[in-house]
Amino acid sequence: MKCRKCKAPAEIPLPSHNTAFCRDCFAAYFTGQVEKAIRRHGLINPGERVLVALSGGKDSLSLMLELSRLGYDVTGLHVDLGIPASSPAARAKVAGFCELHGLKLRVVELIKEGLPIPDVKRYINRPICSACGKIKRHWFNRVALEDGFQVLATGHNLDDEVARLFANTLRWDAGYLSDQGPCLNAENGFARKIKPLYRLSEFETACYAFLNGIEIHSAPCPYSGKASFTGHKRLWADLEHQSPGSKISFYDGFLKRGRPAFAQVELEAGVTLAPCESCGSPTSTGICGVCRLGIAVRERRAADPERQ
Amino acid sequence: MITVFVEPDNETHTFERHNTVLMLQKRLGLRVNDALIIRGGTLLTPDDRLIDGDEIRVRKVISRG
Ligand code: SF4
Ligand SMILES: [Zn+2]
Ligand SMILES: [Zn+2]
Repeated sequence: MKCRKCKAPAEIPLPSHNTAFCRDCFAAYFTGQVEKAIRRHGLINPGERVLVALSGGKDSLSLMLELSRLGYDVTGLHVDLGIPASSPAARAKVAGFCELHGLKLRVVELIKEGLPIPDVKRYINRPICSACGKIKRHWFNRVALEDGFQVLATGHNLDDEVARLFANTLRWDAGYLSDQGPCLNAENGFARKIKPLYRLSEFETACYAFLNGIEIHSAPCPYSGKASFTGHKRLWADLEHQSPGSKISFYDGFLKRGRPAFAQVELEAGVTLAPCESCGSPTSTGICGVCRLGIAVRERRAADPERQ
Repeated sequence: MITVFVEPDNETHTFERHNTVLMLQKRLGLRVNDALIIRGGTLLTPDDRLIDGDEIRVRKVISRG
């Protein structure tokens, strides 16, 4: 295969776009898609400080690298979950990456905050990944607000977004359908949340990571069972194979024609948020969900005979 | 002989015949954009030929998390 742009030998075949690129032209294409996302949805304004959530996975690290190359003022935020089997490796990878590229990094340690994930799993009777996700989002938002970042960026790619949108649509979950998208504007004490990689597929971000020496190996989380969206991702891979371009048109069509309608419905339903009495994060319940988790874990840990 | 290492399953396969990348992908039940096909520091496209002694890394991309 030849690169569609420069006719050099191609390395990245992209049937969805009916094209193939060499690595240099792919880098330009990748940057172009990120810039297009930022421009089209007003993701980052000049002079804004961007906090990038870094899990250690290929998507978040690729996003961080690309935004820094585009000249944005980025700082990474890693939440150390305190899981012995996986957290030290993830943290070391993020720290090594930031050091290599001269990027700023902040780390929140859940052990220090009294909420290590193994304790949450042990003492809280609900699916661990939903609690873990909630805790991570809480800390991203909290650090963004406390340290004056206007923007909070995550590495969600097109496949993540389409799988999530599909799941929300299967349930007709009006709440989620009212605000899913690459840009969630700042309001009610939340920073603006953006997903600059939403136009790029999992394959494309994997190629970018590989070509930029971002190693994707790391110890998997011992609690990660079958990821909830994997089945949907396969369905979409079939659909995309049969009619290339389905994913982006489903998603873009939703943003243009679906989301506004759901947003209207939610506006009428509307909940009011006030600062959490304990940590100041916006909540509709007096004390926010994460502070309540913290209290429950502390109480049960104190009452646990094995931990005396 | 061609040696193929599949990530993240950590499986190794060996194939006698020399094929194209497309044939390898078919054999592993993969579509073009399901996995990176890596030889040394380069990515291969479906029409690339595999040669005797090749060591290929197949990195599946659908993330688990
Ligand atoms: S798989 Fe592990 S890190 Fe991921 S959400 Fe679940 S508990 Fe948290
Ligand atoms: Zn080219
Ligand atoms: Zn709180």
